[in-house]
Order: sequence, then structure tokens, then C-alpha cells
Amino acid sequence: MGCAFVKQVKHAPGYEESTLLAYETAFTIKEVESLYELFEKISHLIFNDGFIHREEFQFVLFKDSNKRNFFADRIFDLFDIKGNGVIEFGEFVRSLSIFHPYTSQDEKITFAFRIYDLKNAGFIEREELKEMVLALLNESDLFLTDDVVETIVDQTFKQADLNCDEKIDPMEWKEFAKKNPSLLKNMTLPYLMDITMAEFPNFVMNFEVVDEELDWH
Amino acid sequence: MASEPLAKTKDSQASIILGRYELGKILGHGTFAKVYHARNVNTGESVAIKVLDKERILKSGLVAHIKREIAILRRVRHPYIVQLFEVMATKTKIYFVMEYVRGGELFGKVAKGRLKEDTARRYFQQLISAVGFCHARGVFHRDLKPENLLLDDKGDLKVSDFGLSAVSEQMRQDGLFHTFCGTPAYVAPEVLSRKGYDGAKVDVWSCGVILFVLMAGYLPFHDQNVMAMYRKIYKGEFRCPRWFSSDLTKLLSRLLDTNPQTRITIPEIMENRWFKKGFRHVRFYVENDEVHSLDEPPQVPHDDASDSGCESDSSVASCPEITFSEKRKLGLPRPASLNAFDIISFSQGFDLSGLFEERGEETRFLSSEPVSNIISKLEEIAKVVKFTVRKRDCRVSLEGTREGEKGPLTIAVEIFELTPTLVLVDIKKKAGDRGEYEEFCNKELKPGLQQLKFGTAALANITSESEYDSERE
Repeated sequence: MGCAFVKQVKHAPGYEESTLLAYETAFTIKEVESLYELFEKISHLIFNDGFIHREEFQFVLFKDSNKRNFFADRIFDLFDIKGNGVIEFGEFVRSLSIFHPYTSQDEKITFAFRIYDLKNAGFIEREELKEMVLALLNESDLFLTDDVVETIVDQTFKQADLNCDEKIDPMEWKEFAKKNPSLLKNMTLPYLMDITMAEFPNFVMNFEVVDEELDWH
Repeated sequence: MASEPLAKTKDSQASIILGRYELGKILGHGTFAKVYHARNVNTGESVAIKVLDKERILKSGLVAHIKREIAILRRVRHPYIVQLFEVMATKTKIYFVMEYVRGGELFGKVAKGRLKEDTARRYFQQLISAVGFCHARGVFHRDLKPENLLLDDKGDLKVSDFGLSAVSEQMRQDGLFHTFCGTPAYVAPEVLSRKGYDGAKVDVWSCGVILFVLMAGYLPFHDQNVMAMYRKIYKGEFRCPRWFSSDLTKLLSRLLDTNPQTRITIPEIMENRWFKKGFRHVRFYVENDEVHSLDEPPQVPHDDASDSGCESDSSVASCPEITFSEKRKLGLPRPASLNAFDIISFSQGFDLSGLFEERGEETRFLSSEPVSNIISKLEEIAKVVKFTVRKRDCRVSLEGTREGEKGPLTIAVEIFELTPTLVLVDIKKKAGDRGEYEEFCNKELKPGLQQLKFGTAALANITSESEYDSERE
């Protein structure tokens, strides 16, 4: 019997088949393969081990691996589904899928809620909200007196905490987000509509996808 | 162009390529590419798809050069340039998805007889606007010819294949006939002589040939014998018909100058007397990746603060419950009110676009000044540096005039209400060069806005750029 040589492609640990990921997410197989190219680049920026570490994530967003950002940390923690301190390829694709323009509003609302639920308690408390406002002001070098911050938090709770229990639960958050669609503006990345285009200059030249059958005249 | 049947798959359904384009009739083909009409099955929108052989591009050894041009071209938006929507690839093919232009080729008009001078001038002005716009961004055509000049349904010019000619040009280096695909009639002498050449100068020559044809109805350099035609081009031997005005003849002699060093440049063309007649710079802006025409003249910066109201815009968030009654009386816009979550969403850490492209720089500060004062101050700053101002409710756009590779510097300023007496002013670079933005901020914007800042708040300069994008530029 003849021996067939199959080209082995070396994938990073935590790699999942593009077919499976495409089935479970908003991406096509081609787009998943393109995301793998992006994942490879990010995961080899500092540690070169096929996982995205917190420092690599920060570096991509801020051009600085030491610049810690309260909210980027939150996003990283949510992308790290297994909670093992790194983002694997499957986690990267599944998490980015939430940001796809075709992903439902409800999924985006749920993910945004998880970002703001700092203690993972299933609701957002007044103190958590204040902490996040202060983190943003600090990040932007903006200075507001404590009473102004309290006023802003109070006003928001007045609008969102419908049952006045000093907590915003998932149902209240959903109502609030639907009334204020601007809250979800960061939850959609137009680039994901066609990742092959968005990343074209980097890797259009080395796709490995079979052509659709066309009758070229 | 004769249409061919739909491309079919084995099951004889109309072929769907790249997951969402239904391929239609073939619009044209050359040695290395085919252009199809196609329809986006999701939106129903018509597009043109140019299909190239990837292997040939890889063999050309100019991948980096081609990538750079196309990366820039994807960002180019101009009313007289056929838009490149997407570039996609499979294992063996590269697909350029482009705007489909319905009005046919400009030279279809010339075939019916030469054009009136004013009509020819209008098309030439549009051609030079488009060519100059791309040159300012480092993109050259190098292959301007009749089939690349299309007309839209309003009768305006659309130049196609900008930057893509580099792809086909690099692939045609295996012989003379491939190089010119038939006629060298529009090609500059320095290209024919196979010397190194300047893309901008080559385009100017081709524009000269095109202008001659529009006005005369025939080619300036023509001979049944190709070698004889070459000789005429080398020597720059052409005669203007008697109906050409002296101004036009002078311009053509500068356009069709065989010496690229002394050949007229785009800025010089724009100052030429014949060209300038009836010329208006095309005014447009890009929003949500679409080109919008600015038919009315831009709002001139003025000192009258009470006149800073502007047309409403439904996309602005709903108004706050606490009304700024004084401003209401003046008919001034009120800023959108921010809740705590809105404020949090300003964080750069939430903006994952940095994974895919260079993010615009951003600056924000707090102010207790009335909105009208802030807008007036921005107009004042714009006046000093001769920037154009566009206003819409509590949003102001400042647009520079200096053309760089990334377009003119464009800065968007948006004002939000934090409390009844406090606003947040958000300043973003929308387009243009980073260095130019920083210089403008440091020299003009920050000093000019200093007195409007609330308390001790310092201007927060938030800049970020993804590594991949600095690689890409």
C-alpha cells in the first residue's frame, strides 16, 4: 500500500478546529482561519507560547505591555473563559463572536452586564458602579469631586434600578440597555463583518482556503 | 460589452462566491483578470468583482508594494473614484469587490463625436481632482486609459482601477505585448523606454492624452504601425486641431511634454487658466464609510456665539431631563446627557478596534462653560488655521486642507452633559496624520481651550496605536 504524506500544520496549544468554531460562532470558516492568523501574531508578541497573555493583550490595545487598564483587565478576564490566566484560540474566537455585528442584542447585553458585575454576584451594586466611574476618570486624567460622582451614580441608579433594591439585576440591565442603545456601542466591531478584509494587508497573501468551484469563462 | 451567461456551479445554481456574492455576467477581461457583475445576496446591492490569479502576484516579487497600495486604496473615498469595498482571497485567487458604475464608459460619448469644450473641461477637472487626491496619498494609477474612465448615473466621472494597475503591471513583465495589452497610445515615453519612472508624471501624461481625445475625438499619437506610434510618442509629435483655443494648446504642450522633469504637475494644472475656468473643488466628507457631497459652502467660522445652532440630528442621544432653559430660549442645541455607564464606555480598554486597526487619538476635558462658548472657541481656533467647520447639534467637525497620505486632518468634537452645570468635551482624530494632529493639539487646540477647562482638569491625551497598523502603513 502506498503511503500518503499529509502536510501537518503545527497549531498552538488550545487550538480548536475552524469548522467547529464557525458552527458555534458568528464567523465563517474563512474568518476563523483569518482570526487564527491574528491570534498567532498576538500570542507571539512577548511570550511566544501560543496563548495570549495579559501583557500581550495590553500591548495590542495600548502599545505598552505595562500599561494596566481597569476595563481592559475586565475584558481579558471574560475572554479567559477557563480562568487559567491566558486566552486560548477557542476562547478568543468565541469571545470576539459576541462583538460581531450579526450577534444578537441580547447576547451583547448579557456580556456587557458581566463586564460591569465586578464581583460576579449576578447584579451590579452602587459601589461597583462608582468604582468604575472613578477608574474612567482616573484613566482620562479628569477630576470630579466626590459629590459630583455620587450625583451621576445616583441619577443612573434612579433610571436603572426599577425595583429600588440598590442593585441592578440582569432584567433591569436589559431594560436599561434597550432604552439606552449607546451603552452597547463598544459591543460591536464592524471589522468583524469581514475579517479577511480588515486584516488584508497582513495576510491576504497566505490564505489556505479551497476555491469555490466556478465556471471561469 | 457583450454579456456572458452567469457563472454556474455544478448544480447549476447561480454561483455564490465568498459567502455572499452572486456572480453575474462578465463585464470584461484581460490577460490576467476578469471582471464580473455581482450582487450582494444580503443587501441586494450591485458590485463589480475583479478576480486575479494569486500565484502570478506572488511570482512578481512585489507583494509588499501591492499590499501597501491596496491598504491605502481601501481607505480612499472620493466622489470621482470607484470605491474598493473589499479585498478577499482564497488559495489561488484574489478578489477585489468594487463599486458598480452604471453609466458606462466616458469614451462611449466620444465615439459619437468630440465633446464641447466646457463638457470636456468638466470631465478633465473631475479626472484631475481624482488623480490629485490619490497622488496625495501615495497611490498612482499608471494605466489611465478609456476603459478606466466610467460615468455614474448623474453623469459624473468615476476613475476605476486606481492602485490596482500596479498589480497587473507587475505581472506583465514577460514581454512587450503583455506590457501594453494592445495599444501604447496613453502610455508616457519614459514607460515605453523601460526606464525607471515616476508614477505621478506618468499619470499626468495619460491625462493629457485623455484631454486631447475628449476635445479632438481622436488620438494625438496614432499610427497603424505600432513602432511608428512609439516614435511619435518618444518625440512628442502631435498637432492640435484648429478648433483648440490657444490656452488649451499651451496646456496640452505642458501635459504631453516628453521630459518628465519639465512636465506640468497636478498643482500646476490646478492653477492653469484653461483648467480653472468654472472649476470648483469638490467638497465632500466621509461618514460611516460613505462619501457625502457638501453642495452648500461650509460654515465660515464667525464670532457671533448666538448663531451657533445648526440642523438637528436624530442620531444624537436623547436629551436630558434637566433642560438648559437659557439655551433653549436662544435656540441652541443641548448636549446629550451621560449616565454613569456612558461615562465608563469612554474607556480605551473597552475599545477592541485596536486589535484590527490604528485607533484615532483622543482627548477629553470638563468644562462649566455654556455649549455656545465652547463651539465659538472651536470656530475661532479653526479660523486661525483656516480649517473648515461643520456643526451638527453638539458635534463639531474641524477639517484641515493639507493633504497627506491619510487625508486631511479631521477632528471631531462632541459635547456631552454630565450635570446641569458641567459638560464633557470629547475630541477625536478622525482622519489625517498623527504627528499633524499632535502638533495641532499642542499648538492650537489645548492652548485655545485652556480657559474653558473646569477647575484643575488637565487635558487628557489618550493615544494608542496597534502594532499591526504601524506595520501596515
